[in-house]
Amino acid sequence: MGLTTIKDAFDRVTKKQKLSCSKTQEVIDQIDQELEQVLQTLQSASDLDSQLDYRSVLAELKTKLKDMAPLSQLESTQKEVNIAASKYPKLLEKSFNPDISKAYRNIEFDSHTVNEVIASHFYRRGLFEIGDSFMKETQEPESACAMKLLFQEMFQILEAMRKQNLELALNWAATNSDKLKENGSDLLLKLHSLQFVEILQKQSRDEALKYARTHLSLFASDHMPEIQKLVICILWTGKLDRSPYAQLLSPTNWDKVAEELTRQFCNIQGQSYESPLSVTIAAGTQGLPPLLKFMNVMLGKKQEWQSMKQLPVPVELDKEFQFHSIFVCPVSKEQSTEENPPMLMSCGHVLCKQSIMKMSKNSTRSFKCPYCPSDIDSTNCRQLYF
Amino acid sequence: MEMDSLPNGNSATPNPSSALIPTAAAPPSSKLNQLAESLKLEHQFLRVPFEHYKKTIRANHRVVEKEVSSVISSVAEAADRDGMSRDEAVNHLSSLVSRLQGLKRKLEEGSRVEHLQAQRCRARLDHLESADAQNLSEWNNVKVKRILVDYMLRMSYYDTAVKLAESSNMQDLVDIEVFQEAKKVIDALQNQEVAPALAWCAENKSRLKKSKSKFEFQVRLQEFIELVRAENSLRAITYARKYLAPWGPSHMNELQRVFATVAYKSTTECTIYKVFFEPKQWDFLVDQFKQEFCKLYGMTLEPLLNIYLQAGLSALKTPYCYEDDCTKEDPLSQENFRKLALSLPYSKQHHSKLVCYITKELMDTENPPQVLPNGYVYSTKALEDMAKKNNGKITCPRTNFVCNYKDLVKAYIS
Ligand SMILES: [Zn+2]
Ligand SMILES: [Zn+2]
Repeated sequence: MGLTTIKDAFDRVTKKQKLSCSKTQEVIDQIDQELEQVLQTLQSASDLDSQLDYRSVLAELKTKLKDMAPLSQLESTQKEVNIAASKYPKLLEKSFNPDISKAYRNIEFDSHTVNEVIASHFYRRGLFEIGDSFMKETQEPESACAMKLLFQEMFQILEAMRKQNLELALNWAATNSDKLKENGSDLLLKLHSLQFVEILQKQSRDEALKYARTHLSLFASDHMPEIQKLVICILWTGKLDRSPYAQLLSPTNWDKVAEELTRQFCNIQGQSYESPLSVTIAAGTQGLPPLLKFMNVMLGKKQEWQSMKQLPVPVELDKEFQFHSIFVCPVSKEQSTEENPPMLMSCGHVLCKQSIMKMSKNSTRSFKCPYCPSDIDSTNCRQLYF
Repeated sequence: MEMDSLPNGNSATPNPSSALIPTAAAPPSSKLNQLAESLKLEHQFLRVPFEHYKKTIRANHRVVEKEVSSVISSVAEAADRDGMSRDEAVNHLSSLVSRLQGLKRKLEEGSRVEHLQAQRCRARLDHLESADAQNLSEWNNVKVKRILVDYMLRMSYYDTAVKLAESSNMQDLVDIEVFQEAKKVIDALQNQEVAPALAWCAENKSRLKKSKSKFEFQVRLQEFIELVRAENSLRAITYARKYLAPWGPSHMNELQRVFATVAYKSTTECTIYKVFFEPKQWDFLVDQFKQEFCKLYGMTLEPLLNIYLQAGLSALKTPYCYEDDCTKEDPLSQENFRKLALSLPYSKQHHSKLVCYITKELMDTENPPQVLPNGYVYSTKALEDMAKKNNGKITCPRTNFVCNYKDLVKAYIS
């Protein structure tokens, strides 16, 4: 888009403005000087001078100021400012989407729902003060309260972890060990490993050995290699940083475990890992450009847009936004539905039912697969469930 | 305290050899293109502070013009006056000199404000420039916050807006000051006071005229209605002659209709006129003002949040979202988001996108879909994993159908 051009255009405005500013100062100083000079002449004149002199001095000043034409001096520099300042917004309009509400459908969002979504977002981001302030200011009933309590627990655990204190995290993981196992997560082992390494670095060999016996040995059956690698570190107690296992001391290990804990915590509490508000806004950021492009082409169809059941253009989102299987028949280009499901043909290619019906003339004859040389018998096609 | 700002702990000494390793491969061009497209949505982000800056420049210039011309005419007037004593002349000039001193001070203060506003404009340009593939997730976090502050300012949740901006150190990236100007007018209108609104109209007279705004007319009408309500017909008529009549040529119908209320009382049951006396007329004025205000600053009329949410919800919305097994990572699995998306269109796809029911991963050529004899489809990765753990047996998680791994067939999705 060329931000440099835009920056240059902006710099031109400030440059002209600076010029205009110093010009203004100059003009005012000039007037000031003239006034001061006349003032001095008047004050230093003896009392005997005649009144007529004052008048001529003032008249002279008047003429001088008139010749100086301060206002037109100001006008010309200001004009240059105005020119630069009117060019810049025009450049912005050309370089950006000047109105991103063009693809907006005129429906009112229920503000209570939006506010609840926002409050939950603050809480799940750990912005508890902001969340509380928002709830107070919007006067919403404490609907996001459950969210607050839930994430308070999580952030307490994370905050303690940040101070190298694993007690809360270990407690939580132990309490939820069954569910963690169900999720295939070895968070508990990871936490114990962190604790073990801490002890190795800061306490005695005996302490480390004791810890390994009580806590790590439980995982021996499923995680033998990891446990072996940890236990051998006892040989380097206090100098792990100079051992082949120095990697165990890396602070990124803590970050990774904190992330895993966050993930598991959200999952077990029935929450998504990402904030749904952030996800939706991110999807909107990807969705708006194609929609705006479409609206610019379809200027006259604003009316239709307000009632469409489906977006008029495909919006390709990144794969992190793919939550459902969408099957689009490569022949009809239509999305499958319950009435028109995807069907697997004997060759392994997949078309939707209607396309198969059409090509087989309602199952009265076999047809050639559009993607390979196979002959397809429609009665041998199988419905798929994604 | 915030999740996304967990510190990385004590930074380890950088690996000396890392300088020799070429930096990670450049992000694919589609990613960069996507980023460029998303930056193009930021018109308002640059426009609003600039309009603010421009406004200050203009106001400062007007002050100078006014003061300078009045000093000049004051000198001229003294020069033309007869019989002025010396002392009088000295006093007169001294007062003009101190007036100029005052102007200089004002000018200094004015250019300080101008400077701050120019800095804000530049900070935003720099912020846009700083977005790249490496810091995108942090940049997007800030973007969400910006959008939320915009929402709160428009909804008049000023306290929280300020708190969020301050705690995130992003005051230069949001328009709190601009909205404080609006707040004065809105608060007054809510208290049924029109003076700040009229002052605002006067301040922006030429631009409002250019956009054919009739906001001032609407405010004047309301003031007139209040006089009628107070049964002060005489004053109402004087008022109408002075402030409403000039709008006659362009808004005659409306003017006639409202003026007729003089003949009624505020307790009228006549539906045409009753509506003018309703308190919600003031809410209507507030809405009108907000619209004019947004237009003047080059803002969208809708909060950015609503625009992004609508586009996002539509892009995410599929017929499957409203089913029970919609994954919780999908915002549309949540009641609130479903409610918001209810009257929005579904997304549209040109190509199949298959997500494995078990792993939630995309099924593509690297992880192709395989079909169980019962027609259910899962990713190769998930099925291989299951087979490994269960001696080659596959159990369909949705139907409990059991088969062998070797009974599976590949599906080719084009
Ligand atoms: Zn085929
Ligand atoms: Zn969904």
